[in-house]
Amino acid sequence: METLSMNITAATQKKSNRLQTTKLNNRMVSEYWESLFRAPEEGRLVCWYEGIQLNPILQAADIAWCHGEAMSALLAARHEEGPSQQAAEEAGYDRELCSYARTHVGCAVMTQRSTPEEVSSLPADSSELKGLASRIPVPDMIISAYPFCSTGQQWDDVIYRTFGKKVPIFNISMPWIWGNKPSAKYMSGPEFRESVDFMVKQLKECIRFIEAITGKPYDHDRLNEVMTYIKRAAEIRLEAMDLCKARPSPANFFEWTNSIAPVNFLPGGQEIVDYFEKKKAEIQQRINEGVGSVPEEKYRLFWDGIMNWNKIGWLADKFAQYDACVVSGRYTHLGFWQEPQVIDLESPLDGMAQNFLTCPISISAPQVTEKIVQHCRDFEIDGLLLHGARTCRAFSYPQHLIADAVGKRLNMPVAMFEGDMVDESYYKDEIVNSRVEAMLEQIEARRARSA
Amino acid sequence: MTQFVLGIDFGSTTGKAVILDSNGNMVAAEVSQKGAVSDESVRVALGAALRHAGLQLDQIARTVSTGYGRRMVEMADRTVTEISCHARGAAHLIPGVKLVIDIGGQDSKVIALDDDGLVVRFAMNDRCAGGTGKYFETLARALNVGIDEMGPMALKATLDMQVTSMCATFAETEVIALLAEGATKIEVLGGVHAAMAKRTLGLISRVGKRDPVAMTGGVARNPAAVHHIEKALETRLILPEQPQIAGALGAALFALDDLRDQAVATPLPKAIPMDDNDLHGVEEIEGSSAPACKSKAN
Repeated sequence: METLSMNITAATQKKSNRLQTTKLNNRMVSEYWESLFRAPEEGRLVCWYEGIQLNPILQAADIAWCHGEAMSALLAARHEEGPSQQAAEEAGYDRELCSYARTHVGCAVMTQRSTPEEVSSLPADSSELKGLASRIPVPDMIISAYPFCSTGQQWDDVIYRTFGKKVPIFNISMPWIWGNKPSAKYMSGPEFRESVDFMVKQLKECIRFIEAITGKPYDHDRLNEVMTYIKRAAEIRLEAMDLCKARPSPANFFEWTNSIAPVNFLPGGQEIVDYFEKKKAEIQQRINEGVGSVPEEKYRLFWDGIMNWNKIGWLADKFAQYDACVVSGRYTHLGFWQEPQVIDLESPLDGMAQNFLTCPISISAPQVTEKIVQHCRDFEIDGLLLHGARTCRAFSYPQHLIADAVGKRLNMPVAMFEGDMVDESYYKDEIVNSRVEAMLEQIEARRARSA
Repeated sequence: MTQFVLGIDFGSTTGKAVILDSNGNMVAAEVSQKGAVSDESVRVALGAALRHAGLQLDQIARTVSTGYGRRMVEMADRTVTEISCHARGAAHLIPGVKLVIDIGGQDSKVIALDDDGLVVRFAMNDRCAGGTGKYFETLARALNVGIDEMGPMALKATLDMQVTSMCATFAETEVIALLAEGATKIEVLGGVHAAMAKRTLGLISRVGKRDPVAMTGGVARNPAAVHHIEKALETRLILPEQPQIAGALGAALFALDDLRDQAVATPLPKAIPMDDNDLHGVEEIEGSSAPACKSKAN
């Protein structure tokens, strides 16, 4: 057997080369949440929702919104998730439950001020009680529109019950795209069209629900305007992502994770367009200068699964130490207004529904796999890394299928590890180290054989 | 002048050391069990290996470490994961092997190899020691039988008893309950081994079944474990003479590669000092390590 150079050693002094633009994102996110916290005193109604991007519909009605996953991710990223997770667990929500839901339900419990003794017994001026988790305004309405995941749908119901079943709730049923008929192709075929029409019908009913609560006619022109900004921002984002086919990749998955907010829940306006313009410009400049997102890019990886929000920066640096650039991922690159071209700005609901129904947990495993295979080819990926979030079955269910199919079709090394999106206790460093290193060794071995 | 290389497998419950000469002959192979991630087991295994080889530590030209504790082996010139090392070691011991099932003290892994003996796919347990050596140790205590007695006893079972809990801790509770209901130790042990095989089959399915199949790791010394996995897989398992040394052998082979290529390794972070003085206690605990194995390893 020829000698194999497989000296995979983490160079601990190396760090991920973060984009400057990301700081702008952080500021925008902070400002957004502060504006939400001020909404009641400014006379704005508040909607709590999870899952798909309903925010433009709410924005057009001048309703403030709290997106559950976004709040949970924010808390985890700032390491402030403890009190709300504890509050939820004490209220009976088990640790095995979706940690996004558990964290956000904990926020509801703390907001409701029916907190269990251990949390409510904290001094009024304690930093925990003053923390983000307890500052979300009480909802005036709840809209439930969760693709595929039954936990997500029940999550809204739990919020409804936490607030005494007194907050009006509207449920949108999102059909899952099975894609198993011969006529079913990605974003085409009778099955898809029927699902889109069904979704649009419900969005229109949801708008009537909003009108009933606000007491005002819905401003459809405003929705068109908001979607103009969102569509443009999404297009620029995809263009910027596409630039990362360059070698070395100028941005990595962790950067894109940090930039989900502007296409997920931040208000549609010139600010999000400007943000992605700046990001794209910075990425282009890096390409011009040959600057990569890791000091030395030897391996290009694809990350399947949700992020570990508690450990974004830490993970970004870890891969930099392995000379590995996690170029892209299913969560970031196959979701969040991922098909802006279908949005007709004169009548956006249909295009919006198409985007909602093609988010990465709304389409079947074969369709997801096909997209990942193509993506890995386009971005010249060397290895597939799958993060199985312990408490997210919706994202994890197809991962063995994806690993098997992508690994075989592309003859690509694959490694899987278990963690979680916002519960740090499910993440174990050495387990990740061993699997990532083993995968990188496989890549090296194949390169040596090909040489 | 003959040179020597060393492979150390710093495992979750055992330390293993293999010494090869520069022609690839195995001159020593030692296994020592002292407890979870214990550097003492590595010291004992290393000391015994050196003694059986008639060598001093400074005669080792190149060292590669593997296992969960690989970064704690200060003398190592570099580390390689247990996946790559087990694959390499097993392919060396059993040329042409396509699937390696390794069940150790706390971890289990399944590795698919291609025709060149390179890793194609692998799967490992995730933070659960169900079906591993730790599982059997716990049950041995609960059943008050010796760990080496479990396998032969389990082979006598005839009733196909269902043991559903795979948790190394909760299986103990279930076993006690079964005994209280009148089940015999033999039948309980049969059920326990069948449950372990079922779990292993799940791990194999993630990688894909292929032949020929080898089993390595400490649990491979358990005849009932081997029997039940063979039954579940519907195929014979190939067992190397010393199933626990595959990882350390693979590490030694990588060290031999380095020696032949005269590659320069990047020094690893400082860890537990391990010099000749630390090996003097070997003679007192000699009985805990396996005998040296002299076989040609080309």
